[in-house]
Amino acid sequence: MNRQLAHLSDEALVALAARSEQSALAELYDRYGRSAYGLALRVLRDPELAEDAVQEAFLTVWRSAARFVPERGKASTWILTLVHRRAVDAVRHEQRRRADSLDRATEPSVEGAEEDAFLRLQRERVQAALRHLPDAQREALELAYYGGFTQSELAERLGQPLGTIKSRMFGGLSRMREVLSEPGTETSWTPTS
Amino acid sequence: MDAHELTAAYALDALDPDEAEAYERHLSQCEECREQLAELNETAAALAFGAVAPAPPTRLRTSILEAAAAERTNVVPLLRRRWVSRGLAVAAAAAACIAVGLGVSLSQSSHPPQSWTVAVGPKGKATISVSGLSSAPQGKTYEAWVIPAGHAARPAGLFSGSTSGMHLGGTVPPHAVVAVTLEPAGGSKKPTTTPIFSTST
Repeated sequence: MNRQLAHLSDEALVALAARSEQSALAELYDRYGRSAYGLALRVLRDPELAEDAVQEAFLTVWRSAARFVPERGKASTWILTLVHRRAVDAVRHEQRRRADSLDRATEPSVEGAEEDAFLRLQRERVQAALRHLPDAQREALELAYYGGFTQSELAERLGQPLGTIKSRMFGGLSRMREVLSEPGTETSWTPTS
Repeated sequence: MDAHELTAAYALDALDPDEAEAYERHLSQCEECREQLAELNETAAALAFGAVAPAPPTRLRTSILEAAAAERTNVVPLLRRRWVSRGLAVAAAAAACIAVGLGVSLSQSSHPPQSWTVAVGPKGKATISVSGLSSAPQGKTYEAWVIPAGHAARPAGLFSGSTSGMHLGGTVPPHAVVAVTLEPAGGSKKPTTTPIFSTST
């Protein structure tokens, strides 16, 4: 592990990656690769497709690091947004998803693997925040974000007007934001010393 | 359209391509939506941490770094020694290097940009080379350092900047940092200025 890079912020690492510093990309992967893979796997439910999505997202980070603007948002948000977009694009191209039922967005179990304590803490916080939401809002968020369904697909599948689905997504995400911004719910990587 | 409500759907990647395009056009003209999107993007990304995250296969890391290196022809992959011993020995021997670090100067003001290469051989002997570096000012010298993980910086040689490269003194262990500082003529026992370059092996 590169001790020097371990003390840099995510945003500083992106700046180094923009200058072809490959170890900075490696460090970003070491920080977010596991979450990225977990997200891609949740959306795609296929390890190979998930790997492809994560790889493409990190290569996009590498290619476009110079265009990242820290003032517009955190580097971790940028990276995970890229991963999510890749995964959603892929799942929409997968015809077999179309035959799947809505329960695809349900949570898979932790398969006996030892889980990083920090990641477990983050997951518990996010899941607790989701539990704060009314059922209809939580359902809309989970199906959209983890299931990869568009708002139009959700309106059709849930038998609700499009306006209702939009309101649930907006209400749910706004409420999530409030809950996560309460003390002790920081979600970004923090240097260890 | 109610732009605020589309902001959430956009942050969740829940718009059709046509809708997303229309929203992006709106976004370019609406500061309020840009600010709101930044907030909701962050919340949406937090949902990523809500997914169970099994460890990805180790090959994924290797694959990403190799593909990244292949895309920028001036970057040589940073190979870890233990990978070398597990099957990359032939390729490594062909390249006569097992660890190469390469980077540009950390100094924002350097013109032209400096390009540094550190190559570490099989027994830890290493060379450092640079292009675009101006000669050290009068009374100063460039000094190279090897910083083994968890240890203090060790002097690894002086150079004026008029040469393009040199062998580093001693050996470079795995996971060490190689750095260069500007020091008073004659060199220092430990770095006294901020590195103008550093990389890890």
